[in-house]
Amino acid sequence: MLGKLMKYEWKATWKLLVLANGLTLLMTIIAWGMVRILEQSGSDFRMMDFMAVMVLFTYVASMFAVSIGTGIFLIHRFYTSTYGDQGYLLHTLPVDTHHIIIAKLLVSAAWELINILSIYLSVIFLFASTKEVFESMMRGMKDAIEYLGAEKITAFTVIMTLLAFVFSLFAKVLKVGACISLGQLAPNHKLLLSFGWYAGIYVIEQILQVVYFAVVIAFERQLGDRAVDYFSHYGGMSLFGGNRWETSLIGAIISCVIFYLLTWYMMSRKLNLD
Amino acid sequence: MAPVVQCVGLTKTYGRKIALNQIYLNLERGRIIGLLGPNGSGKTTMIKIINGLLRPTAGEVLINGQRPGVDTKLRISYLPERTYLPPGMKVIELVQYFQDFYPDFRMDRAYDMLARLQIPPQERLKNLSKGTKEKVQLIMVMSRDADLYILDEPIAGVDPAARDYILHTIVSNYNRNGSILLSTHLIADVESILDEVVFIKYGSIVLQAGAEQIRQNEHKSVDRFFREVFAC
Repeated sequence: MLGKLMKYEWKATWKLLVLANGLTLLMTIIAWGMVRILEQSGSDFRMMDFMAVMVLFTYVASMFAVSIGTGIFLIHRFYTSTYGDQGYLLHTLPVDTHHIIIAKLLVSAAWELINILSIYLSVIFLFASTKEVFESMMRGMKDAIEYLGAEKITAFTVIMTLLAFVFSLFAKVLKVGACISLGQLAPNHKLLLSFGWYAGIYVIEQILQVVYFAVVIAFERQLGDRAVDYFSHYGGMSLFGGNRWETSLIGAIISCVIFYLLTWYMMSRKLNLD
Repeated sequence: MAPVVQCVGLTKTYGRKIALNQIYLNLERGRIIGLLGPNGSGKTTMIKIINGLLRPTAGEVLINGQRPGVDTKLRISYLPERTYLPPGMKVIELVQYFQDFYPDFRMDRAYDMLARLQIPPQERLKNLSKGTKEKVQLIMVMSRDADLYILDEPIAGVDPAARDYILHTIVSNYNRNGSILLSTHLIADVESILDEVVFIKYGSIVLQAGAEQIRQNEHKSVDRFFREVFAC
């Protein structure tokens, strides 16, 4: 049944999201042309340059719109199909609640991933016009990965970093699902309570991060010089330990488990369709 | 064999408001049962609990001896009192959807009913009139060979001609080994097809009896008797 649920979830979302990604493609092509115009223009600022700058502004705005719009559309889709009128259809299907959550999670995460990739590819295509710029961008990415904790980039660190990214994406989707589900506890104004839960969970996450950093820093200070030996031996934390892939991956997995269980509990034990 | 529906001390409260109050009820197989009561009497709440869309505050409901879950959803065919199908779907896609999820769905029966009503399978639900949408929903629900059909206000808001069609569709298509639980406050229209009635008032069952038994004992129609019981 999971496959069937995913099939219909995909069918219900693909049109609008293909349109959004089509907009990304269109704006990339137009903006690419305008970048070429700006590159060829001399020191004189002409009307055409002004137009090119305006188009680039529009390009940036459309990328934001596509990114935010996709998020809003997926949230709306989750809400209406799960707790709106269509919830009467979904929750009377002979399917397990786990399958419902997993189907929605995988399809939403897939669309978020497609959007992120299309925007990244668009930016690379737009600005990596020469080999030098492209190599410079690749160097920047390598530096970023090294900053995130890998002393040298290996296949293992790349895979684990990607895994951390995927689980972070899952956690983001599940958090929204959990907040909408928890909002159903209210007799009225359920959507408002969902926003309240989201804000509350965000604050808790920030507090936990601050506490985590404080503990790491205190730990490092206590160890003093031995900290360097300790961390190089165990390869774990550093002063920036919170940014390493291990921390990101573990944090994302914990978040996934918590938000998944909350959503499952609300759907299977506290379902209360109006 | 266990009753098709068994309510044991079923209670549902919303804050201080009691929607269902200690309901004890057995519904037997092979019968068309009218769940009758005025608006706000608890009919829809009870139906939602049977379908697993609401959780009871206390007590329990058993369908074929089982609590609401995947197995009971396989055996219940439910028509809510609202438009609940995705509006962007075509009728043909909807038929496929039901076929995919319900093993007891009869595609031939669905297409036959659609053809008789001249509903184009390629049309999207959002392009259909409200009445036609309701008929499509009913066709989907009645195209299953379920143990229990639960129809919540199937004739509310439709014209008298459509009511006749709906009742005819219900009576001609249901699985004879199953039961129908039909909720309505329009008694006169459905009285002729009912085997049994359950009167519900302020969340409590006030009467469960055979329709013929009421007519014989009270010397009046179920509709007339209902009006007396629920007189304001």
